[in-house]
Amino acid sequence: MPNYVLLVNGAERRIEADPDMPLLWALRDLLRLTGTKYGCGIGGCGACTLHENGVAVRSCQIPLSATHGKGYVTIEGLSASGNHACQLAWVEEDVAQCGYCQAGMIMETAALLARKANPTDQEIESSLEGHVCRCGTFQRVRPAVHRAAKQESA
Amino acid sequence: MTVTRRSFLKTGTLATSGFVLSFQLPALATEGKTAQAAVFSPNAYIAITPENVIRLWVTRSEMGQGVRTTLPMMLADELDVDWTQIQLVQATTGPQFKGIRLRTSGSGSTVGTYMNLRKAGATAREMLIAAAAASWHVEPSACQAKSGSVIHEATKRRLTYGQLAAAAARQPVPKSPTLKNPKDFLYIGKPRSKTDSAAIVQGRAMYGIDTAVPGMMYAVMERCPVLGGTVQSFDPKAALAVPGVQAVVPISSGLSPGVAVVAVNTWTAMKGREVLKVVWDPGPHQNFNSEDFFAEMRTAVAQDGYMVRDEGNAPNAIVSSASKIEATYEFPYQAHAPLEPMNCISDVRKDSCEIWVPSQCPNEAQKEAAQMLGLAPEAVTVHVTMLGGGFGRRLFSDYVHETVELSRSVGKPVQLLWTRSDDMRFGYFQPPSVERLVAGFDGNRKPVAWVQKSVGCDLSMIPWSDADKKNARRYHENELPWGSFDNPYNFAHLKADYVPMDAPVPTGPWRAVMYPARVFARESFVDEMAGAMGENPVALRLKLLAPGDVLKLGEQSIDRGRLIKVLQVAAEKSNWNAPMTKSADRLWGRGIACNVYDADCYIAQVAEVSVGKASHDIKVHRIVCAVDCGLVINPRGLDGQAESGITWGLSATLHGGIDFKNGGAVQSSYTDFRVIGIDEAPAIETHIVASDHPPGGFGETAVPPVAPAVANAIFAATGKRMRQLPITPAKLQQA
Repeated sequence: MPNYVLLVNGAERRIEADPDMPLLWALRDLLRLTGTKYGCGIGGCGACTLHENGVAVRSCQIPLSATHGKGYVTIEGLSASGNHACQLAWVEEDVAQCGYCQAGMIMETAALLARKANPTDQEIESSLEGHVCRCGTFQRVRPAVHRAAKQESA
Repeated sequence: MTVTRRSFLKTGTLATSGFVLSFQLPALATEGKTAQAAVFSPNAYIAITPENVIRLWVTRSEMGQGVRTTLPMMLADELDVDWTQIQLVQATTGPQFKGIRLRTSGSGSTVGTYMNLRKAGATAREMLIAAAAASWHVEPSACQAKSGSVIHEATKRRLTYGQLAAAAARQPVPKSPTLKNPKDFLYIGKPRSKTDSAAIVQGRAMYGIDTAVPGMMYAVMERCPVLGGTVQSFDPKAALAVPGVQAVVPISSGLSPGVAVVAVNTWTAMKGREVLKVVWDPGPHQNFNSEDFFAEMRTAVAQDGYMVRDEGNAPNAIVSSASKIEATYEFPYQAHAPLEPMNCISDVRKDSCEIWVPSQCPNEAQKEAAQMLGLAPEAVTVHVTMLGGGFGRRLFSDYVHETVELSRSVGKPVQLLWTRSDDMRFGYFQPPSVERLVAGFDGNRKPVAWVQKSVGCDLSMIPWSDADKKNARRYHENELPWGSFDNPYNFAHLKADYVPMDAPVPTGPWRAVMYPARVFARESFVDEMAGAMGENPVALRLKLLAPGDVLKLGEQSIDRGRLIKVLQVAAEKSNWNAPMTKSADRLWGRGIACNVYDADCYIAQVAEVSVGKASHDIKVHRIVCAVDCGLVINPRGLDGQAESGITWGLSATLHGGIDFKNGGAVQSSYTDFRVIGIDEAPAIETHIVASDHPPGGFGETAVPPVAPAVANAIFAATGKRMRQLPITPAKLQQA
């Protein structure tokens, strides 16, 4: 089985796995980085969203063979002490219910804010529309994104 | 056991010489009022350590409803501690909680703990004060508790609860501790954010799927695609040839038999499963189609059902009425589809078993695993993790059974994961229903008679005897005719009956149990009556609830006055009588619906909807919600549950539904079982009607009125009456 060097949250992590193993499962099972969630496995729910070179991607759709030379950030590495603007805004707006999907939405939002300082409601919606939240927390996601945007630009 | 003061409280000492106070509460309250009033079931423990840590064992599962926030709020108020001082410990089955019922259902987390947690907090506070007073040789009345310390004001002496813990444990238990005056509450009634928020947003919250134990193997399982089918034979060779696959094991203890693939990690198990060869014996249900089943249910509305409620003589009154209207409504099978799919870790050892599972029912999991293994229940320990959604699906332990069988077979701890497709296609489903409604009017177009016949399926979890089926009360207790039995409206003649149908689909309670289908029909039909009478739908409801009296139904009391109030508030806050927005390409309308959840929570909702004139697409712009659910512990949590319940209801109104073809579920992911996304999420306004009533459970209350409020709004906008969920643009176009 081939060896891979994954650049995750600023550290080089060596793993031995199948080339077609999705990054999601390598993170979860091999590196025990379980903040990135499995929801559907077909890129249809957004729970496994993380950053690839700063862009929000679905880690269930990325085979290890396609990870060479790329840098990944998961929810565990988004900030040193949970103080990324999105994390703070999410707590402030009390967004989470069961919380299972929230890491995916936070990672999506962090990437959005990195490329667009003050997104409109429409931009927020088109960025997050692929994210499934079965609890239904969207009424609080929107203000949380705006709050995070405000804090980022402050 | 009878209720006595003595059995309510007992004290003991912890090994650390800390102070532990266990408190118990009537089973009545723990189970959302369905159990017998006279039975006690111990509920939780608090402990105060010499290190001044207040521990609260949480005996309910956190699945987003906020129990790990509301329980410490209640305790903090009566015990007079800063709630950040309270350390939460998830209760685990085992010696410490022997005999304690750990179960999360029926919106019962708050109802089942409120008074008892307060009494326990007050009792502990008085014992701490007594201990301090004794050590200072002063009267307890000269001392007061504040922020985790007892203070003697006159001499400015102070001892922390930790310092007093050992001495407090030796104090007699006060006979009737004085509860705080609600005006002095620092926590109860004040908005608080979730205690677990920081862990969640940092990816530290541990759900079942995130849990791992040393030596654990990973498994997935191929289940028979046909309901009731079995494994005829399987060839493990190809799967075992996948590097990392360690075992291929037939499993028959779950809902659907199948073959599990065990491997060194999840992905490898999935790869093994892909090449696994299984020959199925499809069994007797391979021709089961939900479309045909609906045709049978439509025919069955002509049958007499089991009587659920019978007042006056509704059938005669309808025959002799001056005019009548009738309509039929349909509600499909639904999946729970929590985002964290079913999963469980079992470690079966020689004489014991340990289980880690996101479960709403750890006691049942423990008992059933013990039965499978021939062990005493005490030999099985069940650890409850965080739940990535529950919604009733995790009231079953079928996936625990599978894992226990698997771990026993391979002799190692195993985590079994259901893939999304497994989770969507297998398991328990909300049963479908066909509701037939008839209303009769007198010569002055005044409604005189109401008949609601529900054709549906029993819940698999509840065994029924023939005697049960002849006993109307049992129908209510078993939650089947919720919404038709407890119809709050005043009719001289009212009949509700129920025709149970047989289908091979396993059924279980969904969010709001059986209310959604019945209330969709009932509240849509009240609107149809308003149309027939030329009456405003709000005004008609208020008339049907006049004079705001209390409706007694068995043990339940439904206060029509409280329902009137929430209807009035919803109408006022939504500007019910104001003209709607106009636009050239869309039709706009408002609709209202209301419900009483388990004689406990009163809710009314107004939906504002627009429909594309050409595209027929449906947009729900705003839902205004008025609620009286008694004393609100955490208003911020209640708003969240309203948003959550409404979104849930809206998913079923506009999307959702599971179809069965050739004996299997058709939908397999969120792409074909759609739920409301951020682009469709309406603005939601919740107005709490202040109430002196004890707290009610609100986790499910907001679901049932959504579908009828939206359907009524669509009617107001388009003149089209949509009687079948989900309401889609295609159906609207054809209507």
